[in-house]
Amino acid sequence: MISESFEYHVPKTLEEAAQLIAQFGDEGKLLAGGHSLVPLMKLRLASPKHLVDIARLDGLRYIIEKDGRLEIGALTTHYRIESSSLLKEKCPLLPQTAQEIGDVQVRNKGTLGGNLAHADPAADWPATAVALDAELKAVSTTGERWIPASEFFVGLMTTSLNPGEILTAIRFPLLAPRTGDAYAKHPHPASGFAVVGVAARVALDERGAVETARVGITGVGATAYRASAVENAIRGKLPTAKNLELAASHAAENIEANGDLYASADYRAHLATVYTERALATAAERAAGH
Amino acid sequence: MNIQGSYKIPAPREVVYKQLLDPDALSQALPGCEKLTPNPDGSYQAEMKVGIAAVKGTYQGRVEILDPNPPERFRIRVNAQGKGGFLKGEGEIILTGSEGETTVSYSGETQVGGLIAAVGQRMIQAATRQIVTQFFQAFAKQLQQGSAS
Repeated sequence: MISESFEYHVPKTLEEAAQLIAQFGDEGKLLAGGHSLVPLMKLRLASPKHLVDIARLDGLRYIIEKDGRLEIGALTTHYRIESSSLLKEKCPLLPQTAQEIGDVQVRNKGTLGGNLAHADPAADWPATAVALDAELKAVSTTGERWIPASEFFVGLMTTSLNPGEILTAIRFPLLAPRTGDAYAKHPHPASGFAVVGVAARVALDERGAVETARVGITGVGATAYRASAVENAIRGKLPTAKNLELAASHAAENIEANGDLYASADYRAHLATVYTERALATAAERAAGH
Repeated sequence: MNIQGSYKIPAPREVVYKQLLDPDALSQALPGCEKLTPNPDGSYQAEMKVGIAAVKGTYQGRVEILDPNPPERFRIRVNAQGKGGFLKGEGEIILTGSEGETTVSYSGETQVGGLIAAVGQRMIQAATRQIVTQFFQAFAKQLQQGSAS
């Protein structure tokens, strides 16, 4: 199918984009990489009357280290993140996540900001964003604010972005000494979406026990979430196979798991424990070597 | 698909029950409800914009209230179609309450088909839950605003 008709706008500046999106309200949608929105439009499941194409906006495509954090422009593609040597060194969870997204074509066009704003329950970036306590910058005609990842994903495909707000940048913490990252995913064999995706960052203390663990899980619930039960269970413990398995068993605790034709809710919850264990084990190994 | 859940509304059972079965109150409470008109046989004809985020569509349907047992329970049957697909459902609504608070428990079977079910199969469960929750949130808000005025 082809999409319904729409008006196509290409603002030259972020300010112009913000004005347009505020003006069109309910009838307008931002277009970045297009790999979430355009398929919906072609199926006529989404039919915005106005498309505001921000894909070519300069100044929203960057990866920099600033004030002790990594800041990434919202229009940076998954590919650029995947291949960034700065990120591989300073925040490896980001390229680890990026390389698992979709396929080559999706990674070349899809953007970090678009993926987060679309908030698909099986998207990869939300798991990493909540695991790392990322901060997301939202800009509108009336101002700007930083939204913590823990407050960003509020429901199925629903974020706390207000109408008229554009996601422009995302900040992540650097990798500290004796810390390791991992992203473990069970992709759907056809779509590549995460049936379950687990982002983990593990920091070890001097005797090799887990000082802190950060675990973000996607694909299981209506939104990605911090698996705090897992984090609490592994804190202070040595990352042995037995301890990791026990901690990971809490992965889907108190979460209403999604069920579909590919994986029932029970199976998904089970997969969550398996991939959490794998992510923790890999992250802990890497922490020991860092 | 089996769905079930509950929602707490800060109002007495009798008030909640009455409002749930009042088409005028409902059509005001439900966001995107364009029409809710009674049919001669006691059922209702509804037209509603339903959806989540960018995926929204207009659905027309027939709603039947069966076995009303005020203020405790009733059964509801829905048969709706739209460009995005169709929804058939039948369920039971049970109201339990103490003082000024009512717990509305719902449980039922739904069948979703057509385009949204085919391409959105992996999200249908979560989407249905979210839409039902949105309905109760709007309904509760309407009740509170109504009682405040």
